[in-house]
Amino acid sequence: MIAFSTILGSFTVPMRIGTDPASMLWLIPLVAAIAIVYKATKVGTVRLRPFVQETAVLFGSIMVFIVVAALILYGVAWIVTEQLPRLLERSTF
Amino acid sequence: MMTPWWKSNHALFLILVGALAWLIPGAGHFTLNEKRRGSVIFVAVALTFLVGLYVGSIGVVDPVNAKPWYAAQLMNSPAVLFLGDHVADAYRAAQRASEPAKAYLVYGRANEIGQIYTSIAGLLNLLCIVNAVYMAHLQSLKEAGA
Repeated sequence: MIAFSTILGSFTVPMRIGTDPASMLWLIPLVAAIAIVYKATKVGTVRLRPFVQETAVLFGSIMVFIVVAALILYGVAWIVTEQLPRLLERSTF
Repeated sequence: MMTPWWKSNHALFLILVGALAWLIPGAGHFTLNEKRRGSVIFVAVALTFLVGLYVGSIGVVDPVNAKPWYAAQLMNSPAVLFLGDHVADAYRAAQRASEPAKAYLVYGRANEIGQIYTSIAGLLNLLCIVNAVYMAHLQSLKEAGA
């Protein structure tokens, strides 16, 4: 009974999660859940090996796309905040 | 073999499958004899929702201050209505007593992650509800054609 109450009680207090880059790792289980559910609705028959393979491919594709999008956004932010002000300073206009 | 009464009425059958899929994630597929698919959906959706609740506390289900998120969370199951009602009651009681600590604590990055997890779980279940209804429709057509 005490263990049950402790488990229920743990759902009433939020976890301590910082705003550091490591908090981005919370993305991984969510992407896994999305890949699993999406593939569960798409495959003809659910058999362990092909299902795991297809889910892994989708999971990898989403992760690669997110990393590429993050790199592009990082590059744009770097140009706007680091390079553009220097160019404007040198400009004669 | 006789067709069950709930399968003979096409529209009723689709509504029943959709309602079951909303009531318990994966139950719609289970009804269509897609037991593995139903189990995978149930585990994935329920786990994502519970992780969201654990990370952010049940305060992330907030029908008062986060209505758009709540709409997505409702897609998990009608049980979320009771949870939302309970959280809203606690929030209103805390407002009346002018004691914010009486409401369920929810703040910061944990709130964001909790809301995203629970809402995505709801939207994934919505996808499964639509898929279950579509599969039920195809199954009915197949049986009618056979």
